[in-house]
Amino acid sequence: MDITEELRKIVGERLSVSPSELYCYSSDASQVKGMPDFVVRPKSTDEVSRIVRLAYENEIPVTARGAGTGLAGGAVPVSGGIVLDMSGMNRILEIDIDNIQVVVEPGVIQDALNNALKSYGFFFPPNPGSSAMCTLGGMIAYNASGMRCVKYGTTRNYVRDLEVVLADGTVIHTGSKMLKSAAGYDLTQLIVGSEGTLGIVTKAILKIAPLPKTRKLVITSFRSAEIAGEAVVKTFSSGVTPSACEILDRVSLQVLKRYDPKLVLPSEGDVILFEVDGTENSAREAAEQIIEVCSPLAISIKLAESVKEMADIWAARKLVGAAVSRLDPTKSRIYVGEDVGVPIKKIPELLRKAQEISEKFNLPAMKYGHIGDGNLHLALFIDVLNKDEWDRLYRAADLIHRTAIELGGTVSSEHGVGAARAEYMEVQWGPAIEVMRAIKKALDPKGILNPGKLGL
Amino acid sequence: MKNEVKKDEVKKETRRAEELKGNETCEKKGKELPFEVDRRSVYKCVQCGTCRSVCPVFDVVGWESANTRGRMLIIKSLLEGRPPSADVLPSLASCTTCGICAAKCPAGANPPEVVEAARAQLVKCGVITEAQEKLKTAVTTSGNSFGETKSRLHWLSDNERSKLPEKADYVYFVGCFDSYRYPEFAKKTFEVLQQFGVTLLPDEQCCASPLLRTGFREDAAKIMEHNLEQIRKVGAHTIITGCAGCYTTLKNNYPEELRVISLPEFLAEHLEELNLKRLDLTVAYHDPCHLGRHNKVYDAPRKVIQAICTLKEMKNIKENSRCCGGGGGVRIGYPDISLELAKKRIEDVPEGVDYLVTSCPLCVRNLRDAGGDIEIIDIVELVVMAME
Repeated sequence: MDITEELRKIVGERLSVSPSELYCYSSDASQVKGMPDFVVRPKSTDEVSRIVRLAYENEIPVTARGAGTGLAGGAVPVSGGIVLDMSGMNRILEIDIDNIQVVVEPGVIQDALNNALKSYGFFFPPNPGSSAMCTLGGMIAYNASGMRCVKYGTTRNYVRDLEVVLADGTVIHTGSKMLKSAAGYDLTQLIVGSEGTLGIVTKAILKIAPLPKTRKLVITSFRSAEIAGEAVVKTFSSGVTPSACEILDRVSLQVLKRYDPKLVLPSEGDVILFEVDGTENSAREAAEQIIEVCSPLAISIKLAESVKEMADIWAARKLVGAAVSRLDPTKSRIYVGEDVGVPIKKIPELLRKAQEISEKFNLPAMKYGHIGDGNLHLALFIDVLNKDEWDRLYRAADLIHRTAIELGGTVSSEHGVGAARAEYMEVQWGPAIEVMRAIKKALDPKGILNPGKLGL
Repeated sequence: MKNEVKKDEVKKETRRAEELKGNETCEKKGKELPFEVDRRSVYKCVQCGTCRSVCPVFDVVGWESANTRGRMLIIKSLLEGRPPSADVLPSLASCTTCGICAAKCPAGANPPEVVEAARAQLVKCGVITEAQEKLKTAVTTSGNSFGETKSRLHWLSDNERSKLPEKADYVYFVGCFDSYRYPEFAKKTFEVLQQFGVTLLPDEQCCASPLLRTGFREDAAKIMEHNLEQIRKVGAHTIITGCAGCYTTLKNNYPEELRVISLPEFLAEHLEELNLKRLDLTVAYHDPCHLGRHNKVYDAPRKVIQAICTLKEMKNIKENSRCCGGGGGVRIGYPDISLELAKKRIEDVPEGVDYLVTSCPLCVRNLRDAGGDIEIIDIVELVVMAME
């Protein structure tokens, strides 16, 4: 059977086998590489179903891809086969304010959804740093979150129903518009975070939330990242739940200041950004409480004075990961070991160990991330033209992954496992990985859906 | 327009690479050259995909190869030894070099520079589109991008031509577009500038922008030298141009000894002497990429407009301005894509404006081609209205 012809019958011109095009789909933002044999850009559930059925009958791997902003190689076709570029299925099908939910196709960009919801006074809270370009389908597949999940939860908490194409092309719905259901297994939650290994999401009903009336930002800095971590632990245990709680260590701070010198950030130290939201009164009270708790530990504390000051800091914060080249043009930030998480009490220890690892391998590092939920983005940077630095980088990343597991944490808090972290799944999960493998076998007996991922 | 490439001739170049038959390029068989582009510039890209959210060509085309990250990946693959072939052209030849990716890139990469360097390498390897070849032939044989054979100063009478000062401090560099497609702009610009002692080059040729943007660096050098010689003869210390493409080329690719100033900058500096009257108009302003984002000329055109009438800004302006679709050889190489970009840019025009003003004839041309209700004019037309 001529697969190219069969695919062309389904998607017409939205098929490519050009080497250059295939190359562009052979990676995401991680270091994982894998060449596809075909790239297709489906426009409907029916097309996806027919493509997957064709793949099932011919035992061809199928890897779904959103915007390719992933950091674990989840969308990389490591076993070749078909890449389904879902970014063209990008319609917001319904904004249902009465039921506080939206119906979307998987290719909708996160920011596009929030722009559409703004005039209704609602928003979709999970907001990864890549919100300007990442797709909701990718967020669902990897249970993405971002800085506000410390208060609002992760993507998982917002998914009510998914339309999913299973490995043999069957189309199912996993939930409903209902707020709750006590009937049967929760297939919705099974699919969320399954990284395209159990089915392809073609439609989603997502819960939304009312926009808070106000947000306030407390900018604090500390003599060391470890003390900053202690301040976070104390803040949470005092009863405040910030809507965001971000760490920017001193290197990240310098990178951001270089990126935008006008940013209102402390001149020195390791910075914690505490955002609180709610009504004017509740946000003010929470901000005052944070200031009180942090004062004995901090070297500077400041309340952002305007909405613009806050917006500028958050916009820059979103880009910090890639901005390191501005500090030193010979260095690039490489996304490995970048997403570990530990229980909140272990944060100071993780920060200390991360610093030790950076020093041990003589690799400059930025430490930033969603410290309020124990998620540290360790950014190691190297000269990409230096082979020795690559070698040290991978050894450092391996150690940071194992350190997180030893501290009772996870190798990935929000970026996913993909192929980049697959080798740690057995260590992190023990016998539970066999349960995952059994589920995979039951739903995808031929193993065509995103093979080589999740350590399955 | 006998010298503009016919639509059906170009169409085959807008198709995906897998559909190319191989005869669309003039690949020099057996010519194997190393592919050399500054590696560090390429490796600055960490594939985060920020550019994906702003690349106007990708917005229209939808394939990964049509966004900046895809282009950087393809260039990386060539650097790492993949032989250059026609397969890369739909990606690398379809960039308008608008630079919005560079403005947004958190890693500080400069993709338009990398793409232009890659195009230059591809030219050396003989991997080019038919449109590129035609453009190069037109410029190198006729001295203008349209292949026109009539005099570049045809818009002046013999008498006017004979009276042109041989020496002057200021030269008005007309450009191919104003010379051959919008001679009325050239005439009006020259009339406005004449009071300041401006002359024209006796034998101006294309500024070389089309050659530089599409990779013909050696050919560009020759034509630039010709223009430089002309400028030196006139003894001018300042070059004024009303074309954004000419402006960025003269300013950034010619020797630094030249003082280059855009028409809006010159007008803004001389507002008082121009004695402009207020007009009861509301206009929007489109920032040409090569004037705005590439050279940060944002305020001068706005100052001129606001001296004449009310300015109502477009949806995306200045650094965030969307490309008209005309630059980087895309208008001639990929007319369908180019037109779609122009249509999208027109959607940014706010309600209730009388004109969309810009300061680049290529933008005028492309935006006019996109149709729509709004009348598109060059800034010099607005100025002349206010002088009447």
